[in-house]
Amino acid sequence: MIYDCAIVGGGPAGMNAAILLAEAGVRVVIMDRAARAGGQVYRSAADSVLPRPEALGLDYTEGVALITAFESCAATHIAAADVWHIGEDGMIFYSLNGTTRQLQAREILLCPGAIERPMPIPGWTLPGVMTAGAAQVMLKSDAVVAEKAIFAGSGPLLYLIVAQYLRLGVKVAGVIDTTPKANYLAALPGGAAALRSWPMLRKGLNLMREISNSGVPVFKAATNLSILGKTAATGLAFECNGAQEIQAETVFLHHGVIPHSNMSRSLGLEHLWNEAQQCWQVKTDSWGQSSIPHIAVAGDGAGIIGADGAQCAGRLAAFNILYRLNVFSLSERDQRAREDQSKLIGMTPFRAFIDRLYQPVEELRLPKDPETLVCRCEEQRLKDLRAGYEAGARDPNALKSLTRCGMGPCQGRQCGPIVSSLLARWRQEPEEAVGYYRLRSPQRLLSLAEFSRFQNNDETGTGAEVSG
Amino acid sequence: MNADVMIIGGGIQGCSTAYHLALQGVSAIVIEKDYIARHASGVNAGGVRLLGRDMAEIPMSKASMEMWKTLDETLKFETGFRRRTLVNVAADGADIAMLQSRQTVMQKAGYFHEHLLDQSQLREVLPHVHSSCVGGVTSELDGYALPYQATMAFRQAAMQYGARFVEGEVLSSLRHVGPVWIGRTQTTTYEAGAVINCAGAWGDKVAMRIGDYVPLSFAAPMLMITARLPHFAKPVVGAVSRQLSFKQFENGTVLIGGGAKGYVDRDQNTTRLDYSKLASAAKTAIEFFPIMASASINRMWAGIEGYMPDNLPVIGPAVNAQNAFHAFGFSAHGFQLGPIVGKVLADLVLSGKTDFDLKAFRIDRYERKVL
Ligand SMILES: Cc1cc2nc3c(=O)[nH]c(=O)nc-3n(C[C@H](O)[C@@H](O)[C@H](O)COP(=O)(O)OP(=O)(O)OC[C@H]3O[C@@H](n4cnc5c(N)ncnc54)[C@H](O)[C@@H]3O)c2cc1C
Ligand SMILES: Cc1cc2nc3c(=O)[nH]c(=O)nc-3n(C[C@H](O)[C@H](O)[C@H](O)COP(=O)(O)OP(=O)(O)OC[C@H]3O[C@@H](n4cnc5c(N)ncnc54)[C@H](O)[C@@H]3O)c2cc1C
Repeated sequence: MIYDCAIVGGGPAGMNAAILLAEAGVRVVIMDRAARAGGQVYRSAADSVLPRPEALGLDYTEGVALITAFESCAATHIAAADVWHIGEDGMIFYSLNGTTRQLQAREILLCPGAIERPMPIPGWTLPGVMTAGAAQVMLKSDAVVAEKAIFAGSGPLLYLIVAQYLRLGVKVAGVIDTTPKANYLAALPGGAAALRSWPMLRKGLNLMREISNSGVPVFKAATNLSILGKTAATGLAFECNGAQEIQAETVFLHHGVIPHSNMSRSLGLEHLWNEAQQCWQVKTDSWGQSSIPHIAVAGDGAGIIGADGAQCAGRLAAFNILYRLNVFSLSERDQRAREDQSKLIGMTPFRAFIDRLYQPVEELRLPKDPETLVCRCEEQRLKDLRAGYEAGARDPNALKSLTRCGMGPCQGRQCGPIVSSLLARWRQEPEEAVGYYRLRSPQRLLSLAEFSRFQNNDETGTGAEVSG
Repeated sequence: MNADVMIIGGGIQGCSTAYHLALQGVSAIVIEKDYIARHASGVNAGGVRLLGRDMAEIPMSKASMEMWKTLDETLKFETGFRRRTLVNVAADGADIAMLQSRQTVMQKAGYFHEHLLDQSQLREVLPHVHSSCVGGVTSELDGYALPYQATMAFRQAAMQYGARFVEGEVLSSLRHVGPVWIGRTQTTTYEAGAVINCAGAWGDKVAMRIGDYVPLSFAAPMLMITARLPHFAKPVVGAVSRQLSFKQFENGTVLIGGGAKGYVDRDQNTTRLDYSKLASAAKTAIEFFPIMASASINRMWAGIEGYMPDNLPVIGPAVNAQNAFHAFGFSAHGFQLGPIVGKVLADLVLSGKTDFDLKAFRIDRYERKVL
């Protein structure tokens, strides 16, 4: 089947875009690997397994309205579709129930969302160490929680999951906040402007208050974190007014999210280094249009702007796609876009404030201990990478070829950002000069048996009809 | 003068040549437009294969195999070479007939490194091969190495003997002025007494600058590698007439090739995969080895390779210029030859002679056939 527009990712960005495109009458298809739309923020919101989903907060339950609107729009929704390849020719291959199918679209919108920033402290790969996002996913999808866990790091999502745990009556062993004092001072000048987004700010302050009122031990401006335990986590050591140790079988780490750029990378789209957020992101114009004009990227997958921002960005991308499809005139596009544009502009000061306040510290972003694993798939340590660099592998791809770092099944999601920055430090050049891994399809492990049945006999896109 | 010899291209041929020259005290500089081993030499299937070689290549391939055996000790850097034997599977009677007639030719020529396997011998070396396979042929000397590591091993060894490498510079002009070759890149001018064209899939362009014409084409052979599987095949596996080729590494991952080619934009350094061709390689792999049905593909990629019409490389002196030499167009099997090619070129530069008959590899072998 040939579509006017194919959207990958059914989070707030993708759902908003799909609704608009469908309303305008174009043939739009949206794929997501989840069984139900929602994305990270509204994961399973429409069919929650939790007895009291309200405990996760208003933001969560409000997602149901969006999901309902999306599910009743005319877009073709292919659920449980794992997109494993997108070609610049507009061909998309995806796995559905163990079979690869394909479709083609004139315009492509990628809304792949964010992933958590790796936090390579000593021991971060031991069993029992997970990310705060994983805690979220377990809670939202399966109503599973970890009792007496430690939460360490910084940023709104860390405080959110702690507060959600507390509301559900789950015991928390401690919150180790790594936000340095210097960040508060540096963020202060932007504080006044951020006050204009008072509801957002209040939400954050309330979370903090919930946590401090709960009696859970909170350690602020903690440094020198390392996981305790030899074969599995037994707790966390850190410094906060002297050396501290807390015992726990589960440690959740988190210090922010970064765009999930494997898809935009394997398409060969241009990327740039975002200094304020200390991460790579795809290069787009204000409509989300990438360096390949018929491919747009929106939402957190194009640069972290949060769930509210993702809604606006998804809509803006849709307006521009409608213009590109000759459904909207230029002035229609610009006029329809105004509301979302001004909303996004309104969010900027708050975003800048949050970015500055929770800017990740280098000591948590990059490993220091030569023994710390950087690539968990291929078990490459900092010292192995350094040795590879000294053997002449100065480029991320050369280092990957030499050490196998980044060759494992995660496709470099974990080690890629670390390797770029390590090489940047070692070469004393900016990240953009160093670059990133060259990525390829498949996006995820693909069954050889499934692939062996694949036939690209569908150049015209007529064979692989799928219905939503 | 910057160096005695200027080598264009930092793949395995360029690095091996630099090593062999430097070893003999000749100053060599390698100019590489991207980074060392960025192309075919760093991303190939790592097959170190003598089995099934064209008759013209056998003498050099055998000599290279001797070198691979002790290459790690010679270079003092690891190449990842493992001797594993290679087995080409015969699927039917026609395959067996083909093998038998080759065997006759081989033995007449005095080559005894290929051994025929009957069905039960095949099953013994490859217990998981499909029961319908009727036999095969094997060479015990064969195995694999890690392409990027092996190329870097030559580079590092060469550097220890004083060879120099520049990366990120494209040779954009080349002139022979009196006794001197003057090469220019975007930033620098290099001068040397001799020039060696090791430019791989770009070899025809460099040849043109030297003054020689050659009908090189280029394509992107494709590969895929699986996540780890339980060990099921110790030898490297190929097939007599089917597009089957794979090897299982020590970590359990399986590299599947088979010769399917994708698309190349040579000027942009980019390749595009042809997924249906790769899918049929996956199908063949499972047909011959049903155990692979449980595998998962982790990565798929392609590398840019130069091909000659007869699938034999160009190796030897330039015909239209003095003190210029070529070694390119290895047609998807040049990795194994790397160690010996460097030695041949060093010998040619230093003495004008080599132990091997290079007639089949002359750069002007097609020019002569022009009507
Ligand atoms: C683990 C995690 C938990 C989070 N929880 C919250 C939260 O509770 N509250 C909050 O405000 N923010 C949360 N965020 C931040 C999040 O990024 C939101 O800002 C928001 O969900 C972003 O919306 P989006 O539409 O850009 O992407 P997302 O909501 O992330 O949606 C992206 C969608 O794309 C799909 N997808 C990606 N690749 C493929 C593929 N190859 N094939 C098929 N489908 C694919 C994913 O399944 C996902 O559903 C979380 C982030 C993460 C990483
Ligand atoms: C996917 C794949 C699988 C393969 N599998 C095998 C196998 O199993 N066994 C085997 O024996 N062989 C195999 N081969 C073939 C083998 O990799 C090549 O024959 C061999 O690596 C060629 O080496 P080279 O040095 O000639 O070329 P390359 O490695 O391509 O090096 C040439 C270099 O020259 C540089 N260059 C070109 N023009 C210029 C210029 N103007 N200025 C500066 N630099 C320049 C290029 O950037 C390049 O790095 C395979 C090839 C591929 C692509």
